[in-house]
Amino acid sequence: MSASATGALPEEPPGSLLHRIAWHWRYDPKRELWIAWWTMLVFYQLFGLLFFVVTRTQPPPQPWWEPTRVAQWFDDHHYGLLIGFAFVFIISGMTALMNALIAYSMRRMSVSRAFAYSYLVIYALSTLPGMLLLGIALTVGAMRPDRDPELIRWIYDFAFMTFDGTMGVFLVGSLVWMVAILLDENRVLPKWFAYLSLCNALTEVVVAPAWIFKSGVFAWNGAISYWLNVGVFVTYTTVFLTLLRRMILREDFGTGPLPDLSTDEAPEPSGSVRAAG
Amino acid sequence: MTKVANAQPRPRFVPGQPDMWAFVLFEALVFTGYFIVYIIRRTQSPDLFLQSQAHLDLRVGVFNTLVLLASSWSVARCVQAARERSFRAALTNAFLTMLFGFLFLVSKVLEWATEIEEGFGFTTNEFFSFYYFLTAIHFLHLLIGFVVLAIGIYQLWSPARRSQEMIETCATYWHTIDFLWVLIFALLYVMR
Repeated sequence: MSASATGALPEEPPGSLLHRIAWHWRYDPKRELWIAWWTMLVFYQLFGLLFFVVTRTQPPPQPWWEPTRVAQWFDDHHYGLLIGFAFVFIISGMTALMNALIAYSMRRMSVSRAFAYSYLVIYALSTLPGMLLLGIALTVGAMRPDRDPELIRWIYDFAFMTFDGTMGVFLVGSLVWMVAILLDENRVLPKWFAYLSLCNALTEVVVAPAWIFKSGVFAWNGAISYWLNVGVFVTYTTVFLTLLRRMILREDFGTGPLPDLSTDEAPEPSGSVRAAG
Repeated sequence: MTKVANAQPRPRFVPGQPDMWAFVLFEALVFTGYFIVYIIRRTQSPDLFLQSQAHLDLRVGVFNTLVLLASSWSVARCVQAARERSFRAALTNAFLTMLFGFLFLVSKVLEWATEIEEGFGFTTNEFFSFYYFLTAIHFLHLLIGFVVLAIGIYQLWSPARRSQEMIETCATYWHTIDFLWVLIFALLYVMR
């Protein structure tokens, strides 16, 4: 069996970092998986930077502001919104690779392919309320400052409601991943992560009151509807980035259970694992 | 499909899958967050919270608590019976747990209906927002609990399955629901 089929990596030659990267680019059978993983890591860093620092749309501004104050907010954030969301639109394509890696984890499990396909469909849809609608709406507001402030406020409400009030669409994806992990016999991801997915899904439910309240802990920037949810989501994201990295390290391109990592993070011999499924 | 031979069985530190205990920890942390926010808001408007709390019927809260404690007792008996290989008794206790859970659901829905009829809705004031929020999120956990109990019953039903670890895992989830309710009951109905 070839190296690319078994996941057994030929010995890496010594050399500079660039030299080693070039070597991995050419010979590493896990090249595509690592590209997807690094894309995911870079995306989340950029996502945080663009939303929290450049556009300053997170944490969200006050939901109860009057039209003139909202128009003022657009004026204050004009260039940040335009530049920031231009980059957001560019990086939005990275989500395809990220979703593909998560779907790959499910394809590597001993469960039906339907799980991976469902996840891909749901998360392809979730990109809209998860980032694009907010970006489009706020860009419209920033590009048309001459419009009636009431209309600008409507756009403002629409933008933040779609972004902060629709986290429930991610709930279904979390549950699909959770069920796949619980049914999986290939030990691709640990069961406790499935329960963390359930916990994440349940905290996404608590965002729903943001549609009703304009202030307080249940508003779109409130302690419960926003901050607690963000805390759980960041934890969840950090955990699955770590677990997906481990999954790639353990990957043997077989069909049976993934081998465990030895202490130096190289897969253990897995000859028996690669028997035909 | 060929499977890797299982490694040595892990020593057991907790009943059921240790992974479920991770869920207990996650949920305890999240609910601690809710409770901290509730207590902070309560200290900022003590009169409003006290006056609103007076509209809740303590007897209903006590009834809810007793019913859930009874369900925890029956699920513990279910686990014990399964350990003793008395699967008929285990099944009976699993169904009894479901019945107690259903009683809780009905009484909670009736309580909500009564409160709404008296004019106390989700947006009436901050206390009632917390009341509906905490009881509803707990209600959702209980609904998932029925699925979990159904998995336990499915395990007990056939001699071909009957995984003791799975039954204990299901029971751990159910106890978590009870544990969370006791805290919610103390905060919403009892704390003055």
